[in-house]
Amino acid sequence: MTYQDRSSEFKARIDAGEKIEAADWMPDEYRLAALKFIEMHANSEVMGALPEGTWIPRAPSLKRKLSLTAKVQDEVGHGQILYRVAEDLGKSREQMFDDLVNGRTKFHNVFHYPAETWGDVAYIGWLIDGAALVNQKALLDASYMPYVRAMRRICPEESLHLRHGEELVLELVSGTPAQRELFQDAVNRWWQPTMHFFGPPSKKKDMLIHWGIKTRTNESLRQEFFSTYVPKLWDLGISVPDPALAWNDGKGEWDWSEPDWDEFWKVVGGNGPMTQIRLAQRKTVWDTHAWVREAFAGIPEAA
Amino acid sequence: MPVWDVFGKRTPGDEFVLVGGIKAPDTEMALVLARETHFRHKEGVAYGVRRRGEEELHVGSYDPDLIGGVTDRSYRRQEAYAGVGGKLKRVARQMAEQGLRIDRPRPPQHRSQA
Repeated sequence: MTYQDRSSEFKARIDAGEKIEAADWMPDEYRLAALKFIEMHANSEVMGALPEGTWIPRAPSLKRKLSLTAKVQDEVGHGQILYRVAEDLGKSREQMFDDLVNGRTKFHNVFHYPAETWGDVAYIGWLIDGAALVNQKALLDASYMPYVRAMRRICPEESLHLRHGEELVLELVSGTPAQRELFQDAVNRWWQPTMHFFGPPSKKKDMLIHWGIKTRTNESLRQEFFSTYVPKLWDLGISVPDPALAWNDGKGEWDWSEPDWDEFWKVVGGNGPMTQIRLAQRKTVWDTHAWVREAFAGIPEAA
Repeated sequence: MPVWDVFGKRTPGDEFVLVGGIKAPDTEMALVLARETHFRHKEGVAYGVRRRGEEELHVGSYDPDLIGGVTDRSYRRQEAYAGVGGKLKRVARQMAEQGLRIDRPRPPQHRSQA
């Protein structure tokens, strides 16, 4: 059987809804696309822990400190789970780390920005995790089964984070005018990065969708995010900095303003406001925690 | 570093099901890492690890109630946030009473007043 025949047979399995396991034969195009996507997801989980992590010492109460610490631990744990899945596709953890800190691989745009206030922590917890959950729920039906297993583990935790974030938001919006303003200010600054988070409108032939690694277009995920969260924000009297954002009955979807995509490409290309600082933090932790990896590797046998 | 597949049981009557994987130098460390990576939130009643390429499943020796910890870590579970949905409705009602609700075109299922 030729490579092309095997690839066509493989594609037919995916189109029939079959799941692919790590040990199965797969075309190079599939392996590389899955690896790139899952590696980027793993990078984002770990890099996403950094902005929130800076707020653990400044959390306003012990209760908030405990829940934020647990959330940050969860995000790093998601990174662990996803890097393991990515490793089975043929790239070592060390190489993935090296590519990340040297700017050869990407992480999600939203984690290139600063978390300036406690209002940002509330926003990230509710709406960045909410956006992530919209994406990740759609991956529960992906074609690569080890990734699906990871999503079955990750989605319930993201759902918990969402509740944690929603509670923080409700505390702020039902508090003093200054607290409401703190959250409104966070929405104003984070809205465009959140629109970028879903990515530009998907190409006609998106290879990730072709292979079933992703199951839905960027646009349909962004529309679901609008429907789930925008009415809630408006109910809470929180405005969104997009004057065009409104449900269009005729089209049966939301009208919205295209964000500045140049900004998106600049940020994911490694030129965001916090990119270099975060990558330096990641590298410092890797270096200063080398002893942990060595301890886990065990004591070498005496010569 | 050896790769270990991680298995878990949600309820006592379930079979062990593959849930993910970790890397660890030996069985003892594999059991510690599997518990910390996959069972921090009381996800099940039993778990085990199997070194890739081998047959034997090494089952963690924890009592089902101890998996996920014995101190109050409810903030790691949904139950700690059970009232949040109700609070959203209450706060939305207050905002509507104060005239702060924003009325913009929204999908039909979200049109009723809070």
